[in-house]
Amino acid sequence: MIADRIRRIVIVGGGTAGWMTAAALVRVMGEVEGLTITLIESDAIGTVGVGEATIPQIQLFNALVGLDENDFVRATNATYKLGIEFRDWTRPGHRYVHPFGFYGLDMKGIEFHHHWLKGKALGDPHSLDDYSLGIVAAHQKRFARPRPDLPNSPLSKISYAFQFDASLYGRYLRSLAEAGGAKRVEGRIVDVVQHGETGFVEAVTLESGAGVEGDLFIDCSGFRALLIGQTMGSGFEDWSRWLPCDRAMAVACESDGDPEPLTRSTARPAGWQWRIPLQHRIGNGYVYSSAHLSDDEAAATLLANLDGPALGDPRPLRFKAGHRPRAWVKNVIAFGLAAGFLEPLESTSIHLVQSGIARMMSLFPTRAFDELEIARFNEQTEREYIDIRDFLVLHYKATERADTPFWDYCRTLDPPEGLAYKLDMFRRSGRIFREHNEIFTETSWLSAMIGQGIEPEGYHPAADLLPDEETLTRLAHIREVINHVAPTMPLQRDFLVEQGGASGEPLLRRAS
Amino acid sequence: MEDRRIRDIVIVGGGTAGWMAAAALSRFTNNGYTRVTLVESAAIGTIGVGEATIPPLVTFNTMLGINENDFLAATQASFKLGIEFVGWGRPGERYFHPFGAHGHELHGVAFHQLYLRERQRRATPDISAYAMSAAAAYRGRFARPSREAKPPLSSIFYAFHFDAGLYARFLRGYAERNRATRIEGKVVDVARRGEDGFVESITLDDGRTIAGDLFIDCSGFRGLLIEQALGTGYEDWSHWLPADRAVTVQCDLPGPPDPFTRATAHPGGWQWRIPLRERMGNGFVYSSAFTSDDEARETLVANLEGAMRGEPRALSFTTGRRKQAWTANVVSLGLSSGFVEPLESTSIHMVQAGIAQLIAMFPDRRFDPIERDRYNAVIQDIYEDVRDFIILHYHANQRGDSPFWEHCRTMTIPDSLATKLALWRGKGRSFRDNAELFATSSWVAVMLGQNIWPEGYDPIADSLDPDKVAIELERIRQRYAETAEAMPSHAEFIARCLDNRPAMTAAAS
Repeated sequence: MIADRIRRIVIVGGGTAGWMTAAALVRVMGEVEGLTITLIESDAIGTVGVGEATIPQIQLFNALVGLDENDFVRATNATYKLGIEFRDWTRPGHRYVHPFGFYGLDMKGIEFHHHWLKGKALGDPHSLDDYSLGIVAAHQKRFARPRPDLPNSPLSKISYAFQFDASLYGRYLRSLAEAGGAKRVEGRIVDVVQHGETGFVEAVTLESGAGVEGDLFIDCSGFRALLIGQTMGSGFEDWSRWLPCDRAMAVACESDGDPEPLTRSTARPAGWQWRIPLQHRIGNGYVYSSAHLSDDEAAATLLANLDGPALGDPRPLRFKAGHRPRAWVKNVIAFGLAAGFLEPLESTSIHLVQSGIARMMSLFPTRAFDELEIARFNEQTEREYIDIRDFLVLHYKATERADTPFWDYCRTLDPPEGLAYKLDMFRRSGRIFREHNEIFTETSWLSAMIGQGIEPEGYHPAADLLPDEETLTRLAHIREVINHVAPTMPLQRDFLVEQGGASGEPLLRRAS
Repeated sequence: MEDRRIRDIVIVGGGTAGWMAAAALSRFTNNGYTRVTLVESAAIGTIGVGEATIPPLVTFNTMLGINENDFLAATQASFKLGIEFVGWGRPGERYFHPFGAHGHELHGVAFHQLYLRERQRRATPDISAYAMSAAAAYRGRFARPSREAKPPLSSIFYAFHFDAGLYARFLRGYAERNRATRIEGKVVDVARRGEDGFVESITLDDGRTIAGDLFIDCSGFRGLLIEQALGTGYEDWSHWLPADRAVTVQCDLPGPPDPFTRATAHPGGWQWRIPLRERMGNGFVYSSAFTSDDEARETLVANLEGAMRGEPRALSFTTGRRKQAWTANVVSLGLSSGFVEPLESTSIHMVQAGIAQLIAMFPDRRFDPIERDRYNAVIQDIYEDVRDFIILHYHANQRGDSPFWEHCRTMTIPDSLATKLALWRGKGRSFRDNAELFATSSWVAVMLGQNIWPEGYDPIADSLDPDKVAIELERIRQRYAETAEAMPSHAEFIARCLDNRPAMTAAAS
């Protein structure tokens, strides 16, 4: 067992994925005797890191690597995030928020939304958004951390994530990783040495001629997929028939310094535009289908829809939706863009890196590299990509938009099997089931399905355990509590200052 | 919506399954328009013997709002902290499958991985010494953790041994108070709708006809509606679980009741021992292909610990499951939906799981196939999870003292179980996928208990200092032992519960 141990871990690529991996490995395995963790990156190669939005699971990762939240928020110019606002997705002029956390309150042993559906059938006009403290607070630009000491208040169940500058996050994690003993090697990889018989990667060769040997190689080289793709030949499964967007145009703009704790996604004629408010600026990008829109049109639309003056020229990005069914081959494991790509519509990019790392830890190999364990890793990774894909496709598929060829294509596409099943189940009787601990909860599916205009034909019969009048009274009470509590939360900009999370970076423009 | 609602639920059969369903449905359809009717015949016996259960039953009772002490008083119940297995690896060996976990993870590393590593360094105590429930069980002690309880007391999980017939009677009272109607009678005919074969009504021997929207088949092995009327089909698992007979008898208790079930392997099968409050339930499970009824009966009687009460009763069964537990407008619960021997005390849990899924997927009169199909898929998963876990017990034996055990040791096993075993044999990995009924600690208890030692352990364990871990493991063991010593004896705790009916709990330490 001891003889079989992995002694040299080599991470190829130092973007967000690379430094997340290094920081986590140092933290979990730093004490293992004789283990070295080396990260190779080249300053000459740019990283894709733009303003990034995340989902609440990132808190687990941050806790694992032991970072102080206020310190991290300050260092990465971060803002807090209570959900994602979707504008114009269902039809132009429509909007809804996909919140973190819950709606309302479960009653009589069944989920809140069955009571809400019943209320709707009885004529209650309030939208689901009115039953989420996160949404109501976010619209008021307010934020507070959850209060577990107040178990009966909706404040106890606030759930949040962050929006931050991904390259600053990478730098922050680098400092943690290096302090914990990870070694950074500067250089460009020009060759990969494989074992003659087994094909295992033995070393990578740098431009300088130096070789870096390892037992386990982590490929964080981005779209190039230097080891997993070029060396190991692990194939890429193309999902663009379901997710036709293949380009993005990104640009930052000035901020008024009063950020909403919300990411925003606005549907456009051939895709959608993100808006990620950081402390000192706003990240923006137009994700689109090159079959339906030229790059120049995309840049023009993007620039015409900014909330402040652009900071520099729009940068183009190219990608293809899909993933590698074998993200782990022999002694190479890929994370991040080397493993697959799904557009950032639900802010899952960083989560995919994080869960890949967690999965590797739970199946950490020895030099024997057990095929059964590798197979399990690959199956579970694929499952996760499929789950996220299905949730993303929902947003495109469930729309009334018929205003452009792009939306016609999306609205009429054949959904993947898993999505078709979820849609059927929900349409018939408002039921949602979270399978195999999939990343998106019942609340997320509910939010997006209702938000995108799907109306269930019925609700759970147990909602009738409450008499009609009582249902309406309780719904009104929940709204009252939320409307009462939200204004007690601080404005996000004040919260950042009070908690010491404000970066102090000068704002380029003040609110007028 | 209105016109599609289920208005009449008819439950056929009044054993444990029937009254559990009546109790739960009378509570969850208490909406002013749904009626629950249960048809049973006093002339048809029920199988209910002394039953052992698993911890989710506590949730079932809580969901119904039942006071646990009232339930104890009414059902001859004792508490149960796990199952002791005797002779399953090799004759004479014993191990304990506790409810609740072994220890707790340290810095994200699973407890059993640290235990496996420590085991390579020195002779460690048996892993059950690190389970709170086992520490209490082996001392004959018990305490019920309150909701505010702190570790290690909060890691006690428990279930019950009780008289299933008394439990059914207790739930009957509950259901009738919730306006469920009981009708005495024997079903002699079933009327089905022409176009889709849905059951419309049943006719009783006195000529009465009872119509319904939804029928629940709790008629036991024969599956009066699900099989006899609808011909759903049965999937036979006896090639993996060859036991097909049991002989059962009650006897006197030799002393105060133990807070655990015991399952003892004998050359021709295995024997259960379920201590109720004032008597002991016993049964011998065997395969008629390997053991004769006379031999079985002799083994049972020879291994009783107290004077026999009455004559042994014989049962026969075929292990397997109904192919579609829900067909048309008929949902089968209990023995009509399948049978897996009570080695891990899952019979009542299967009923409970069926009820919970039915409530989750409760239909309207359209009987949407998407809901039925999901119900069937979930129930199939639960049956298969339990099946694999039971097969593990038989398969992982080193007895070699009879053709029966030799057959079990060498038979082919389901692929799902083979994968689990292979992952375990490498680095002691055990994953609880999806909503599997048995937690990792249950698999660990049985695999180690039956001498399947992994070749290695999780390399992540090496991130923790072995000497510090050794001290921590010892601290956990001592703390559990001290906590157990401070508990009242099982008999004393039961007496307190019976004296002091309003829920009594312990919040100590």
